Amino acid sequence: MKLQHHLGGLEGLEGPIDFERRVFVEDWEKRIFGIHTAMMGLSASLRDALPGYDIDSVPTTFDSTWTWADLRTGAEAMDPFDYFRLRYYEKWLGGISAFLVEQGYVDRDEFAAATARYRADPDAPLPGRAEPAIDAQVQRYLREGDSPRRGPATPDFAVGDTVVVADPPAADHTRLPGYLRGRRGTVERVFEGNYAYFHSTGEDGLGDPVPVYVVRFDPHELWGASAEAHAGPLYAELYQSYLTPGPEARR
Amino acid sequence: MTERFSYPDDREAASAAQVRALEALLIEKGVISGQTVDKVLGYFESEMTPLNGRRIVARAWVDPAFSDRLVADTPKAVAELDLPVGMAGAEGEHLAAVRNEPGVHNVVICTLCSCFPWPVLGLPPYWYKDPVFRARAAREPRVVLTELGVPLDDDTEVRVWDSSGHSRWFVVPQRPAGTDGMTEDELAELVTTEAMMGVALASAPGAGTR
Repeated sequence: MKLQHHLGGLEGLEGPIDFERRVFVEDWEKRIFGIHTAMMGLSASLRDALPGYDIDSVPTTFDSTWTWADLRTGAEAMDPFDYFRLRYYEKWLGGISAFLVEQGYVDRDEFAAATARYRADPDAPLPGRAEPAIDAQVQRYLREGDSPRRGPATPDFAVGDTVVVADPPAADHTRLPGYLRGRRGTVERVFEGNYAYFHSTGEDGLGDPVPVYVVRFDPHELWGASAEAHAGPLYAELYQSYLTPGPEARR
Repeated sequence: MTERFSYPDDREAASAAQVRALEALLIEKGVISGQTVDKVLGYFESEMTPLNGRRIVARAWVDPAFSDRLVADTPKAVAELDLPVGMAGAEGEHLAAVRNEPGVHNVVICTLCSCFPWPVLGLPPYWYKDPVFRARAAREPRVVLTELGVPLDDDTEVRVWDSSGHSRWFVVPQRPAGTDGMTEDELAELVTTEAMMGVALASAPGAGTR
């Protein structure tokens, strides 16, 4: 069980919300956002994307898969105290740096030396190597995206059905909010089409294309006595892998 | 005894040097070009900004039929408007709008990460990614909204949408009273990112903004 999977509804965090409206609070945060987004736009996994990107013709040395699933897996693997201690883009910087070193794109010692160099001279310029075809692919990815929709919907459930959320073993990565495990809800909407996930989450159950639903939950079902006064419904978008038939359907 | 949450004195300078070293090495090794990061950032500074969301909402306010289409099939309705190319691009592949109405107030959250409709609103502000917000808004959205200064009467149903799947949700706030006769462009100015995530209301000019 990972704290990061169970953040929704976690009690005891009664302090005020940090209502910071800025997207970036330090200039350096922009650069790690840009690096991450470029890596997604050059990811080897885009070979199978619906827009038909010609990834193999892009003159980049990047030949790995880097998707949201990889970034999220890193954040979910963190020490929960660090997860709370570090700012959003500090987590990104740690996760992305570790990945690039581990995959051999950046040598650990070389990285340390370059960091020391820029520490000593923060205004030292970046290398100016131009490669318009790399930038064009990243731009195209931004404009055309990477839809996970695959094939027609094959739903086991219909609008109005009662479902009970599954309780699979905790995995490295999940799209199942922890507070929904074992809870009963009602199918509110069945999406058109089936939806794949970036990679298999193993026993957790994602990967192959499956139907996706909006499921409505009663707040008292979710939170019991901890529900707030005049509480309203909560809607979650759930992959079919996470749903089991409700009690009345089981007989 | 160890400090649980301690930070080095050079916290920001260290991160700044590390990210610059990383970018420099990725350029040298041929992973990205010297312009790649600037071009990504430029896209979010000039094209995929909250202005797109503001225009979508303003159109919904002046055209009820469009508003209905927007809720019924969001990507199709968004494609009707003259917005930058890429509204169905990265993090906009499956947009989904929910609409506030008298008696119904919607809030969008992402308890697992920070899913956000990039083409509609640009990149997510810090509050949306705050673990305290994500934890509390799931269970006690009314308390959170009150803290953030959003007045709601007890009869208004608060609906929370947890962005756990492929859709990227946003809220169509209610048109504020006293805005009759305003043009679509003027109305767009009344819409904020916060209102389109449901943690603020759209306000008429002079009524104070949140």
